[in-house]
Amino acid sequence: MIRERTAALGRVLALAASVSMAPGPAPAQWITYPAKNVPRKPDGSVDLEAPPRRLADGRIDLAGFWVPSSGVKYLLNLAADYKPEDIPLQPWARALYNERIENNGKDHPGVRCWPSGIPEKDNIPDGLKLLQLPDEIVLLHESRTIYRQIFTDGRPLPINPQPAWMGYSVGRWEGDTLVVETIGQNGRTWLDMRGLPGTEALRVIERFTRRSIGHMDLDVTIDDPKAYTRPWSVKLGWNLLPDAELIESICEENNKDLPHMVGK
Amino acid sequence: MRAKSWQACAAAAVLSLGSSRLSAHHSFGAEYDGSAPVTVTGVVTRIEWTNPHAFIYLDVSDKDGKVASWKFEGYPPGVLQRLGWKRDRTMKIGDRITIFGWRARDGSNWAHSREITLPSGEKMMFGPPAGTGDGGSTPAVEVR
Repeated sequence: MIRERTAALGRVLALAASVSMAPGPAPAQWITYPAKNVPRKPDGSVDLEAPPRRLADGRIDLAGFWVPSSGVKYLLNLAADYKPEDIPLQPWARALYNERIENNGKDHPGVRCWPSGIPEKDNIPDGLKLLQLPDEIVLLHESRTIYRQIFTDGRPLPINPQPAWMGYSVGRWEGDTLVVETIGQNGRTWLDMRGLPGTEALRVIERFTRRSIGHMDLDVTIDDPKAYTRPWSVKLGWNLLPDAELIESICEENNKDLPHMVGK
Repeated sequence: MRAKSWQACAAAAVLSLGSSRLSAHHSFGAEYDGSAPVTVTGVVTRIEWTNPHAFIYLDVSDKDGKVASWKFEGYPPGVLQRLGWKRDRTMKIGDRITIFGWRARDGSNWAHSREITLPSGEKMMFGPPAGTGDGGSTPAVEVR
């Protein structure tokens, strides 16, 4: 990662020299803006290796602008670390999964600008801003300009709720790890772009542990007895994107892909 | 804190992630063929700086002077801005550019962009690397 940034810095400086020489007013878009309350090195860069901060209530501060550590690996294939035959799919779910793979995922809900569910939303490369309030965590996702609430006020999960694309989430702290439970998804989302199924019975456990200012571990358990024969887990991660800011992203404004999604 | 240093470092962090971005909107492989690269040179006639994808329209002339219209899909504006594109300045209507990308499976003059060569000769990425839709098990063709 450090080598990649060093190489990228060279490209940035070369690019900045060429592009910034163009005449016209300076762009005012908040692409990057210096964040407050983050430790910085003497050169002004965010100290990504520094330990995470602790808030006044004693909790680890999870706030930041986060992007998946592994790029799009787990967005394309949540079970990338599994042999296909080891994914514990129910027989009907394996048939559906194979059909989706055969068609190159042409019916993924995203092509109609429908939202991702959990955990696919954790793996969207566009990033998210995490806000930590005393009684809830709010995730502002750049893709779809959509929000997600994780309530930490002790409320129980709802019973028989109206199904929702991203479900209903509550979180509790186990030491410095935030354990989030999500139910109530609508069964219309895929777990990844390859086509792992999820049903209305899906229950997702996410364990957020901030290892440093720059990195968050995200251990995810999929528990969907209608689609899978047993719960199964994957280890995901997020990296902090320093000084980044959200940019609006409304999928419906010019979606032209659907007529061209022929599959193969 | 030096004012410019955080900008360079932040932009560097953004750029280092740019190459790993893929369309989170839909499966690449269902619409485009990663084994069918295409390189097209033409004149920009329209730019749509929109979500979920930016689009560039090119008039492409063959050796007999016949003009065909091509359309290339690219990253959404948020990603383009983080990669250094300036909406009204980096590329303009009337610019003669070269685009490398991959053809649509439906046979139309429609393709997904990857690298654009601007009139200055500078190269910038306008679209993601080719995915395959099957979880990445079949590598796409990267041709320059």
